[in-house]
Amino acid sequence: MASVGPCGTGTGTTGSVAAAASKNNVTSFQRRGPRASSSDSGGSRLVSIAGTRPSVRNGQLLVSTGLPALDQLLGGGLAVGTVLLIEEDKYNIYSPLLFKYFLAEGIINGHTLLVASAKEEPEKILQELPAPLLDDNCKKEFDEDIYNDKTPESNIKMKIAWRYQLLPKMEAGPVSSSRFGHYYDVSKKMPQELIEASKWHGFFLPKKISSTLNIEPCSLTHGYIKLLQFIQKIIYEEGFDGSNPQKKQKNILRIGIQNLGSPLWGDDVCCTENCDNSHNLTKFLYILRGLLRTSLSACIITMPTHLIQNKAIIARITNLSDTVVHLESFIGSEREANPLYKDYHGLIHIRQIPRLNNLICDVSDVKDLAFKLKRKLFTIEVGCGVGHCLRNWLLSHLPSADGTKHILDSWGHREQKGPGWHTAAPEYQ
Amino acid sequence: MLESVLASGGLVLLRDSVEWEGRSLLKALIKKSVLCGEQVHILGCEVSEEEFRDGFDVSINSQLVYHDLFRDPLNWSKTGEALPEGALGALRAMYRRTDPGPVIIALDSLSWLLLHLPCTTLCQTLHTLSQQDTCSGDSSPVKRVCVLGLLHEELHGPGPMGALSSLAQTEVTLSGTASQTSAHILYRRPRQRPTHKIQWFSILPDFSVDLQGGPPLESQPHPDPDTPLVDPTTHLTFNLRLSKKEKEAKDSLTLPFQFSSEKQQALLCPGSGQATSHIFYEPDAYDDPDQEDPDDDLDI
Repeated sequence: MASVGPCGTGTGTTGSVAAAASKNNVTSFQRRGPRASSSDSGGSRLVSIAGTRPSVRNGQLLVSTGLPALDQLLGGGLAVGTVLLIEEDKYNIYSPLLFKYFLAEGIINGHTLLVASAKEEPEKILQELPAPLLDDNCKKEFDEDIYNDKTPESNIKMKIAWRYQLLPKMEAGPVSSSRFGHYYDVSKKMPQELIEASKWHGFFLPKKISSTLNIEPCSLTHGYIKLLQFIQKIIYEEGFDGSNPQKKQKNILRIGIQNLGSPLWGDDVCCTENCDNSHNLTKFLYILRGLLRTSLSACIITMPTHLIQNKAIIARITNLSDTVVHLESFIGSEREANPLYKDYHGLIHIRQIPRLNNLICDVSDVKDLAFKLKRKLFTIEVGCGVGHCLRNWLLSHLPSADGTKHILDSWGHREQKGPGWHTAAPEYQ
Repeated sequence: MLESVLASGGLVLLRDSVEWEGRSLLKALIKKSVLCGEQVHILGCEVSEEEFRDGFDVSINSQLVYHDLFRDPLNWSKTGEALPEGALGALRAMYRRTDPGPVIIALDSLSWLLLHLPCTTLCQTLHTLSQQDTCSGDSSPVKRVCVLGLLHEELHGPGPMGALSSLAQTEVTLSGTASQTSAHILYRRPRQRPTHKIQWFSILPDFSVDLQGGPPLESQPHPDPDTPLVDPTTHLTFNLRLSKKEKEAKDSLTLPFQFSSEKQQALLCPGSGQATSHIFYEPDAYDDPDQEDPDDDLDI
């Protein structure tokens, strides 16, 4: 596992870790040999790879998922060496977005990409990555988005819960590539030169498996074996597991696997309830995690779990993955007509966050998270808690306009703090 | 529109059931495609060729390319007519076809194939068949391939149905009332929200589609007159509305945690007759008077 920083210090930021290390450096013994990084004074060697940062909780090396709001929910980012499993929504509209954000973040940071799919060609997936929002455009885009969303009553200042106005605004700007998380514009495509400058490997299943009718039965589906061999080959050849000593500049391998478990991969876990080889998917995840733990890589997998008939398999898959996020879209469900959910496109459930070298995990307090796909951004918001529901019910049932204003004064308003986050501030009289 | 179901290409599922049979709609769509000049290949598994061709006139029949899997599915007669490799081979042979122009492949029926082939193999083959227009990097004109499959809903569990639905671009589900048939069409476009539409129709004897409006509106349920509408704002124990005077009083109230100038003055000059609060503290026997030194009470 790629962990960073001295163990057991438990101090807060990396700045203080480095300071503590330098304070202890009162010995006359000097370390010989080349220093790995110039910033640290020999106490610990921080691995400085572009696009990563150590976690403030446990020093784990983190990469961004491409969506800063999701990074916050996962406790700072996705740990290197772990698997992020996205349980797809029913019509597979929003999970490809998270997939693409992950890959786009890799291109911006200069990571190597490995894209595996049985449905689409990897070249096509890379052509459709969202464009990054850079400094000069960002403020304009966000203001425009925020302005379109602002309702007229949100101009009332809060009188009772005024302390919420003093909260620091969420960072609204994307920016240079030295930052950890970036913002992307979904309505535009990533420029071709960035894609061509990046290093990527593609795995398209129909091409890798020629249509052989006689495949000897083995313990794992043929497609999965090929994919695992491919990943292992790339990790070994490019030195992500430290095997190639000539590699000086360390880099992260970002692996993206789309629609794992669907029948297109040759796995019938979605088709039948009691399939013969019901352990294909679980074995694959187990071996994949073994490969990831011994290399500098992070993996995102999207899986159509709504098709899996056997619920026990879903539980096993959740246990075998590290971070699990479930997207539930409102399309076609009875919640679509619900007025409480009219601003949102779906709910996002954080099913599991890993405990890596830790006893507790960094679960955020908020449980009602909803997502919305605006024209340019995918935002995650604190959605539909009890306070909001009650407020909206009262708003919709009051007959007079005066009453409406009164309720707003006592309930406050929802402030727009930035593109990625909202704080809900109900006031109580 | 029902006719434009085949326009977008990809996999189109025609889901029927015992009450609402779909083969006539399948034949109607085939007839329409032939009249539009598209090439139609039919893989017949469930009914014989004569029965399938029954009802089409000669011009249409001559343009249909029929692959018969019904008469001899396992190729026991070993003649050259039957398909040598079975169902899977027939599908793959269609994939290797290189005729230009749009092609419609009608599968009658997809249920038969689903019962005789493993679901994953069928899904993979259908996917490669229906994606034919996007791959192939040569400069041939875009061949739009549409795979139209008749699926009997009651024969399959939710697993295979869900798997095929996730692959399909369009799903037409047949249902209806006593007198009329309706088609519920669900369009799944790759990165957009799915849209659906309900179309009432009937099939005429010569297999042309007659689109109709919906059934008469008497069938809508009336609101129950027995239960009165309850207004939740009556008999509340709290006040939902404020009168004008109350509102003014509320607005002029200074809140306890707001630091106004009067409060500042009051805190800065505590005299002038205001009762300030004092704290009287009597130390215990165990209390430590010296905050700095914790060991002060030790007798050393």
